[in-house]
Amino acid sequence: MTLSKQEWIDLEKKAAELRELCIETVNWAGSGHWGGSSSCADILTLLYYKYANFDPKNPTDPDRDRIVVSKGHVGIVLAPMFALLGLVKKEDLKTFNHTGSKLGIHLDSNKVVGLDSSTGSLGHGSSLGLGMALAGQILGKNYKTFVVLGDGECDEGSVWEAAMATAHFTKKKRGAGNLITIVDRNHNMIDGNTEDIMALEPFEDKWKAFGFETIVVNGHDIPALSDALEKAIAGGEKPYCIIADTVKGQGVSFSAGNYKWHYGALDEAKYNTAKADLAEYAKIRIARAEKEGK
Amino acid sequence: MAKTVVTTQSDRYATGIFLYSAVPLIKVICESEPQFGDKFKGKSFVFQVSAKDSEAEGTGKLATHFVINDGVWTTFPGVVHEKPDVELAFPSLRKFVVFFSGKGMPLPKIKGLFKFGLLIPLLGPLLRMAKLMQSKDKPTLLSDQIMLCKLFLYLLPSGISRLNKMGHPDVKAVTETSPDRAYALIIENYPDLQSWIRVKGGKSMSGRGEYKRCKPFLAMKFKDPSLALDILMSKADMVKYIELGNLFVDGAPEFAGTVGALMFKVAYYAQGQYLDVEK
Amino acid sequence: MAGGITFTAVESTKLAPAEIFGKTIAELGSSDPTIVCLSPDLATSTKMGDFLAKYPDRFFNVGIAEQNMIGIAAGMAKAGLKPFASCFSVFASLRALDQLHTDVCYQNVNVKIIATHGGTSFGQAGSTHHAIEDIGVVRTMVNLTVICPADGMETANAVRAAASTPGPFYIRINRGFDNVVYNSSDYGFEVGKAVEMVDGTDITLIACGSCVYQAMQAASILKFDHKLSARVLNMHTIKPIDREAVLKAVRETRKLVTIEDHTIVGGLGSAVAEVIVEGGKACLLRKLGIPDKWSPIGLHEDLLAHHEIDAEGIVKNVLEVMKQDIEKDEDWGDEV
Repeated sequence: MTLSKQEWIDLEKKAAELRELCIETVNWAGSGHWGGSSSCADILTLLYYKYANFDPKNPTDPDRDRIVVSKGHVGIVLAPMFALLGLVKKEDLKTFNHTGSKLGIHLDSNKVVGLDSSTGSLGHGSSLGLGMALAGQILGKNYKTFVVLGDGECDEGSVWEAAMATAHFTKKKRGAGNLITIVDRNHNMIDGNTEDIMALEPFEDKWKAFGFETIVVNGHDIPALSDALEKAIAGGEKPYCIIADTVKGQGVSFSAGNYKWHYGALDEAKYNTAKADLAEYAKIRIARAEKEGK
Repeated sequence: MAKTVVTTQSDRYATGIFLYSAVPLIKVICESEPQFGDKFKGKSFVFQVSAKDSEAEGTGKLATHFVINDGVWTTFPGVVHEKPDVELAFPSLRKFVVFFSGKGMPLPKIKGLFKFGLLIPLLGPLLRMAKLMQSKDKPTLLSDQIMLCKLFLYLLPSGISRLNKMGHPDVKAVTETSPDRAYALIIENYPDLQSWIRVKGGKSMSGRGEYKRCKPFLAMKFKDPSLALDILMSKADMVKYIELGNLFVDGAPEFAGTVGALMFKVAYYAQGQYLDVEK
Repeated sequence: MAGGITFTAVESTKLAPAEIFGKTIAELGSSDPTIVCLSPDLATSTKMGDFLAKYPDRFFNVGIAEQNMIGIAAGMAKAGLKPFASCFSVFASLRALDQLHTDVCYQNVNVKIIATHGGTSFGQAGSTHHAIEDIGVVRTMVNLTVICPADGMETANAVRAAASTPGPFYIRINRGFDNVVYNSSDYGFEVGKAVEMVDGTDITLIACGSCVYQAMQAASILKFDHKLSARVLNMHTIKPIDREAVLKAVRETRKLVTIEDHTIVGGLGSAVAEVIVEGGKACLLRKLGIPDKWSPIGLHEDLLAHHEIDAEGIVKNVLEVMKQDIEKDEDWGDEV
């Protein structure tokens, strides 16, 4: 384990804070993509707080690491993330999805400072991230680019065009090795389980066949995910793809693992249940950190 | 054994080119070169070149005649004059073609041989044309090069148009499917040395000098008369000349081949090549 | 005499827009280190060879993947580069449209698309490779400047303007040969400003791309054969369109014909029509282009003639328009 006990505990608290602010934002917005937002909350926490070289006080630093959240429909967790980083006013979260708000389902990189790319049409992020990685080498910079993909998104052919090119340009030493792909493998898409709708398995084999070094890891296990990211950041001959095994709607009893919670609205009872569930979920995870941390 | 030469369709195409496109060049020589033209000053007469053709209605011959009025020439291509003062009369289309293409010297019957002392002045431009056009080698004098270029440039579009008007299938195939387009031959810096052919839906017309309606659809622009003759006399490779900048194709390059093929078609008859091929 | 020639005339292709683009981008690349070039297996066809030879580290062949190319270009632009991505117009505008829309135009990034083989210029390849909808499609993209240069020199100007102006550009050029309109690039090219090629008072011909040359020849024929005075506007920038030039033409000639190697739905003609109807002045517009039909296969010049967007086709249509009334009073009988 590379994380110290204190770091782990702190990150658990940050992740809990993010999930909580996310469910609040769903409540303010009236509805939202809670399922896929909660499944990637730990990934985002680790990237923005720990592994990406990203200073919220200097969010446009040309030397910063880039983060492209290709599954762009999770604005409802990204906006709270930026709020926690101080790049979005917390008050603005209350306007999320409201007419005239600068925040909506898919965030606009021209409105949210620090967001490296607008996304929304699925399957674009890998190409965008690859472009950023290739540009880094030309500009003489050594930043990393992280691309967070949804698993259902990998139905899109353009993901694989980009995957092929990433491996190719890594081999050609054009800078693509600085691109790290993280798939939020929450197993669900709008209409059901990925394997029912459009089977992805053998998913890891696909990435391997495209020339990637793969790491399959529990996407809600902070130390395990940390180890995976450290390994990917250290890099190697091939580009890295971390397949983060996650639970859609994680942390809330009625949504965890339920594909129907891709997008949904909370009534008062559900909101209260969600809040209570998230608090309990955070407690369990922090307790584990305190017990197992070193 | 006396040979009976049957007049072929190719003889007819060749005759058409000579009567309408080549023989009229006599006037061009007289107008361009005073040493020939001046000899007709003060003279008025009708000069005709004809060939016997059993299929020709009425007169039984095909002809082109010139009316020279005090040294000023007017051409009547393809028109038979009933009483020319001087006439070169060939006994057949084949002999007419053989003579004008330089493949042989079947002398015509010359009518008005001694009339007004016209024969010597007339032989001048005729021999000038023959010497220039039938030579295998490019002339060395610039003035000769210019004259020969002019003859070629005036002959070719006119010859193509004649073949079209006579219904030559290869030429028709091009003109019938063609929108209104003009193809020009141009020698740069010599305003006289230009000619063009305009085609449209099976119709064709040729002209001398600049094509004035608009820029031609395609123009083959030669850098100078000498370089032009290299191409016109098949002394040089066209693609290579384009690469060297000796020839500039102004227009869609795909169509340069079309013009080239049609020019070749004229040469096939005008140089009597068909006489060797179609034995 | 020579004949039976099938070749690519070197002298002509030296002036072909794609060649000029290749030379221009290689030249710009030396002074601007942020310029990079991308190609989907078309470096040869899109004439990026000079750039590749000079700056191999700044050239990316992404394989046959236009969507990926445009996405990568957007990512590069986000990071501070100035990518020039070139592919066939039909794929730049349709295959990669989603990326053009979201990654490039929505984010308003500095991606310059050189869309080659525009219109029916890749005639023999048939409708899968004809780009007859691209202008109509891409001019609906917010933030995108759309230029359709008349020839090689104008392509050089457009590429230079794109390099020096922030934001996304779509520059549509043809395959191979194009008739030369400008002998030098020094004629006052300005993005969004039409160039008056010929002044005239009877009718205005508004053209873009290879049709500019055709319109100029048509004006010559109209004058020579019919004593008509036709104005010719080179509307190289389709977006933003030069509203003033259009409205001036409406005021001064009342009759207009647009000519484009593009479907008459949504392209230059539609853009001009949009300006005209807002101008509030009665006039008559005929849109020439590909008439909402799939084009036949053939040589580009033949297809221009087929679609009556060559000089003679324009003349034919102008003569018809000249006979048309702008406002026809149907019945002069007195009411009883």
